[in-house]
Amino acid sequence: MTGWDGRGLPPVAERRVRRAAENGVWTSLLSVPAAAGLRVAGLEPAGEVMGSMVAQLSLAGASCGVYGPGLGGLLGGPGFVATGSTGFGAYAEAVNRGYATALARLTREATGIGADGVVGIALTTAPIGGGVVEFTALGTAVRAAGPVRPGRVFTTALPGQDVAKLMVAGWMPAALVLGVAVAVRHDDWQSRQQASWGAGNTEVAGYTQLLNHTRADARARFTSHVRKTGADGAIVSSMALRMWSIEPSENHRDHVAEATVFGTAIARFAPTATATAARSLTILPLQHTQPGSTS
Amino acid sequence: MTAVENTPAGVPSDAMRRLAEMRPGQATSLFTSDLSVNEFLLVREAGFRPVGLVLGSSIYHVGFQVGRWNRNQELTTLSQAMYHARELAMTRMEAEADQLGADGIVGVRLEIEFKEFGSDLAEFIAVGTAVTAEQASDSGGRSWRNNRGLPFTSDLSGQDFWTLIQAGYAPLGMVMGTCVYHVTHQRFWQAMGNIGQNVELPQFTEALYDARELAMSRMQTEAEQLRAEGIVGVRLHSHGHRWGGHTTEFFAIGTAVRPLRADHHIPVPQLVLPLTD
Repeated sequence: MTGWDGRGLPPVAERRVRRAAENGVWTSLLSVPAAAGLRVAGLEPAGEVMGSMVAQLSLAGASCGVYGPGLGGLLGGPGFVATGSTGFGAYAEAVNRGYATALARLTREATGIGADGVVGIALTTAPIGGGVVEFTALGTAVRAAGPVRPGRVFTTALPGQDVAKLMVAGWMPAALVLGVAVAVRHDDWQSRQQASWGAGNTEVAGYTQLLNHTRADARARFTSHVRKTGADGAIVSSMALRMWSIEPSENHRDHVAEATVFGTAIARFAPTATATAARSLTILPLQHTQPGSTS
Repeated sequence: MTAVENTPAGVPSDAMRRLAEMRPGQATSLFTSDLSVNEFLLVREAGFRPVGLVLGSSIYHVGFQVGRWNRNQELTTLSQAMYHARELAMTRMEAEADQLGADGIVGVRLEIEFKEFGSDLAEFIAVGTAVTAEQASDSGGRSWRNNRGLPFTSDLSGQDFWTLIQAGYAPLGMVMGTCVYHVTHQRFWQAMGNIGQNVELPQFTEALYDARELAMSRMQTEAEQLRAEGIVGVRLHSHGHRWGGHTTEFFAIGTAVRPLRADHHIPVPQLVLPLTD
């Protein structure tokens, strides 16, 4: 154990990267179709790379900023949704930083072994207990087989086959992009009424507002990250939303929503004259497939 | 096939150059999409460009209704709730697409999620990818939008969408029908009489027939309103949700289509024998 200061890579990862760069032996997490697909697109596996970060995430002291029941009118009125203030901004920041750091460390390892990109990245979180969460990014680094080097490492969650299909059609995956947003809304009188047992059929306007706000925020962050990469567009791979209630004080309930959007920014490189470079071929596989499966 | 000339010997140089040239904040018409790679490429090939991911959502309090325990009947309060909440989500999604100037929405998913924090609260969400067409739908310059002037919606996958366009059909809109039905409980003596017997329970059979018929005919009515030729990709779900064993939602959903041309021939597919399981 050394007293690592959190900058760069941990010493053990540093040593592994150096060894991999020196002896040239590569490992990969690719499936057979992914490996074959990448070869068609002109990418060779360079090695398995990862990035990890353990962080403490705390919502302690977080609340909507309204104290006591029924005071929704004091701060911003009954439609009040807080994002930046009162502890939630810090939480969302920490989640963003966790993913970003894990990805940055993965990219650093890839750079260390002379790779040009990382494909099939699995970005996961695992709770360790007591509000401590590990963010992990795991993928396979690839090297371009041609004479031109991009001078940067592209990252994508897409598997090798998908990367190959995109490249053959004239699109290049550029970067794994994410957007995370957290928001809170005070349970005002109207929300409590609409959600109560005897309310009948009705939309719960307050909760809908909270969800829409949070999701819109996550999507806006996602889009702005895509724009920052300089790519032409993005393929969203997953979009999740979690909503739960908290009770910051007696007789005071709030609802909290957390939205995440993950995807890959893609850039066009082929001439746009034709819709796609390679036309697809209609085939009928002579095998039994499960009804409803689309592959 | 310009992009693949130099494979498999090397990666397309253009691709690497494009990566090297990427700068933050370049003025491009940025799009986002909810499609998989296969779907994205096929939608492009069908002559459509994704312009943005669109969604609509509503948190809905589903009211309460008790059916007479010994009668087959539709629970209209619940049917209305399922209709109204889905309508809210779909309309909001269509409004987003309309703002983007889209011609249609492909790959729509319409989902319901009951929330843990409230017993009768559910989120209804509709997500899809808004697209614009590169060409008008016919030589007369007819738009791809449907007869209500709204972007078409379709819950078909990108693969099915491609095939549909190839075959000379255009989607008009997603159509659905729902019916929440209470199936009668058996009377005591009847239940006793059936113990150990292999018999049909006609009142149950009839109930399920009735409920499905209601859902499907409502779907059909929606398609007629869109002046569709037919409905493809129909799925008939039954959801128990949280209403106990005797109350079920029958939900029919599909994509209403109109013909683009008189013949509907598609190229004969090539047969392949995959070397995998």
